[in-house]
Amino acid sequence: MTPLLLEVDGVSKHFGGVAAVDDASFGVTEGVITALIGPNGAGKTTMFNLISGFMRPDCGTIRFAGRRIDGARGDVVARAGLVRAFQTARVLTRMSVLENMLLAAKDQPGERLGMNLIAPRRVARRESEVHARALELLDLVRLRHLADDYAGTLSGGQRKLLELGRALMVAPRMILLDEPMAGVAPVLAQQLLDHIQQLRQRHGATVCVIEHDMDVVMSISDRVIVMDEGRVIAEGPPDAIQRDERVIEAYLGRQGHADESQRGRPA
Amino acid sequence: MDFLNLAFWTFVASTAGIYAIFALGLYVQFSMAGLPNFGHVAFMAIGAYTMAILVVRYSVSLPVASMAGIAAAIVLALILGIPSLRLRADYLAIATVAGGEIVRYLAMNLPDLTGGPIGSIGLLGPGQIALYNGGWQRSLDELTTALSAVIGAAANRDLTMALMVWSIVLVLIVLFRRLERSPWGRVLKGIREDEMAVTAVGKNVFAFKLQALMLGAVLGAAAGLLLALQIGVFSPDDYQPTLTFYAYLILILGGMNRLWAIPVGAVVFSLLYAGTRFLNFFPLSLIDSGSRAFLRLFLVGFLLVLFMAVRPQGMLGNRRELLLEK
Repeated sequence: MTPLLLEVDGVSKHFGGVAAVDDASFGVTEGVITALIGPNGAGKTTMFNLISGFMRPDCGTIRFAGRRIDGARGDVVARAGLVRAFQTARVLTRMSVLENMLLAAKDQPGERLGMNLIAPRRVARRESEVHARALELLDLVRLRHLADDYAGTLSGGQRKLLELGRALMVAPRMILLDEPMAGVAPVLAQQLLDHIQQLRQRHGATVCVIEHDMDVVMSISDRVIVMDEGRVIAEGPPDAIQRDERVIEAYLGRQGHADESQRGRPA
Repeated sequence: MDFLNLAFWTFVASTAGIYAIFALGLYVQFSMAGLPNFGHVAFMAIGAYTMAILVVRYSVSLPVASMAGIAAAIVLALILGIPSLRLRADYLAIATVAGGEIVRYLAMNLPDLTGGPIGSIGLLGPGQIALYNGGWQRSLDELTTALSAVIGAAANRDLTMALMVWSIVLVLIVLFRRLERSPWGRVLKGIREDEMAVTAVGKNVFAFKLQALMLGAVLGAAAGLLLALQIGVFSPDDYQPTLTFYAYLILILGGMNRLWAIPVGAVVFSLLYAGTRFLNFFPLSLIDSGSRAFLRLFLVGFLLVLFMAVRPQGMLGNRRELLLEK
């Protein structure tokens, strides 16, 4: 079996008396698209915050590529190659789309204050590499025509695309996407889906995605992890998950009839 | 005094340049990195006090004492920044307001160290007049002699000072324009917009904010040194919190996020501020001159409100950028 890229082991996070994440354990294999699903309040976003270093777990360990990352700062986790996107896209509105991309570049010596004065050539050389890469990725997410516009003028869906492109600028080994399709126009959503699949096929990236739309989950993911009330209750390939009694009870059963919760979409 | 008094306006020009340097420090912190510093005046005070104490008490040479003044401002920035910069921006605002007042109150209440309420002149204790800028005056005189070889009899000490201050302003503006467009400046701008997003792409936000705070402190202290050297005497009262707001006014007058707007804002502010003394015509002449001096404070406040209401982007700013929601 391929070694796990991400290992979450016995992780808990409490807010006051509420256990948002309760002794959760799971693993993510490299090069696989994993969907994290569960009813509202199951602890999925908290899980993402814990993995990405935006929150500290109360207990348990998180390993990424063999290295412990629980309790590490968010920027350290990102530099280690694990990059997240947010549920509501966080773009830098008063910066141009291109600047949003450039900002995320790795290994830019010019981010050190003094380097701009003592080694301007090295900074400029890296800047032109970064610039070329940014335009390439803007092509990929089809935002190149908007490169010089303020990111604040983009629609919600375009912002999600920009955030995806910006995450890719970091050249991540693994990317966490929190509801990438939510609030996105159907045409853009389809594009996003394509991008996510391309990421794995072309770039060999590992993707972990929180998603509510079961059609999407079943069609793009190789593996599904189900959370409920802070615990991981099931883990497996999508078709097995669909038939899993505990999942149906926890995830679909709670919201009433399965077909009602799907809002008419075929399962 | 005559409205067309050249010596007076030369002096105002120097002060305007010093205010520009002071406001530039705030620009790095507030406009570039989004750090609300409401105690910027503390850096000015600590720079001036450190320099004067070292020169008067310990006979340290002026360049070394000035360096020490700047170093003291950096230490103050670390003291204010390290505990508060990991938290939300509001906490820095609180820390800096308090920090600014603490510095002023310490200066007022430690007479053995600072000369107390009478200020730098009391640094050697009662009965002796302490002066810290003798060395400065001599170097200015030498520069003035050199200048008179070029422009003849028009050269004088105030003109030398004004030219020197504005050369510094010019160099700093060019330098900061480069820094602002550098990858370093880009990260600061990103932090101003959304810290979480910048953290998520792997930047150590805290380290960048601390650098911006320190760099602003250096500029604040430099302005404090120049102002103290130009005027030759200072007291705790010269470092009232209003000074910080003058720096904000300069940024707002010119246009919040425009580097070149700082010297423009500084000049306009200084003209207004110094110019109010010429409001001695009817009906304003009915008010006695002491009360008339307070008109400038009304004017400063009024302009702040007016600009915020009518032209929030300042004289040179970009309204479109300003109106984009976060």
